[in-house]
Amino acid sequence: MAFIKRSKAIPANIPTASMADIAFLLIIFFMVTTKFDVDRTRVKLPKSTVRNEVPKGSAYVVVAKDTAGLFSYKFSDGEKMSRPVADVTLLEAEVNAVAARDPGKPFVIKAEADTPYEDIDTALDILRQAGVENVVLLTEQRTVNDVD
Amino acid sequence: MGKLTDKVTKMEAEITSASMADIAFLLIIFFMVTTVFSATKGLDFKLPSDDQTPPTTEREEAVFFKVLEDGSFLMDGRPAVREDIIPYLAPKLERWPEKPIILYARRQAPYKAMVAVYDELQKTTLPPERGGLGLSKLPNISIPTNREIQQYIALFGVNPFEDR
Repeated sequence: MAFIKRSKAIPANIPTASMADIAFLLIIFFMVTTKFDVDRTRVKLPKSTVRNEVPKGSAYVVVAKDTAGLFSYKFSDGEKMSRPVADVTLLEAEVNAVAARDPGKPFVIKAEADTPYEDIDTALDILRQAGVENVVLLTEQRTVNDVD
Repeated sequence: MGKLTDKVTKMEAEITSASMADIAFLLIIFFMVTTVFSATKGLDFKLPSDDQTPPTTEREEAVFFKVLEDGSFLMDGRPAVREDIIPYLAPKLERWPEKPIILYARRQAPYKAMVAVYDELQKTTLPPERGGLGLSKLPNISIPTNREIQQYIALFGVNPFEDR
């Protein structure tokens, strides 16, 4: 009897069925842990120990320092990306419009750590006059080593 | 000639799932690029409703914080550091949890200094093992706005927060 070499051809493939499971798991993870950022301004935030979650869909008032070192306001209603506002009166108009449409709207103050307090005060006063009650001052986590 | 046999190639019943992973990874990359981690956290700041008669606080009874331009602050008129606040407030708030606290920041004071003091005041609600006082509710903090200060100046001719 002749021995014929009959190598059974195993198809060379990598099982990819579980790949989709892993991928969808990751998708769900990203969907839950992330949220769309309405403001991408780079700002050096002040530090605090107490930090609470910012409610989703909050409107943003941003106080950022431009390249010339001047502080300027930006505003986002929580849906559209933030846009610069030329002056305080325009900011007031934007805030009033949002607060009138949704009276319980949470607001976030995102401001450079070195902003003179009067600029924050102006923003807070506008929010207060618009009847806003929930405001979050965006901060960074303070660690033990932070001196100031 | 050979025999004609009925040779049926067996087709395996399966749904092609190879492209599934491609679609899924595309979505992952989309979410990774368009979103950020929810690192957006901050200090809750409750604004009082805008009534025309601001709550009057007896100045003598209140604990008074004044944040200065260089980022330092005075606590009841004396220079203090962040670490002093909680021990100073502890006996006062224990006796009277409603004790008013006035946090006044000068116009040119840096925002971060005001946030640092405000953060310490918020810390009073943290449990003692996290450095707080374990209060069930926030102390009675009032932050005079510039508009209010201007009203005071119009009334009394001086800024009442600057003389102490």
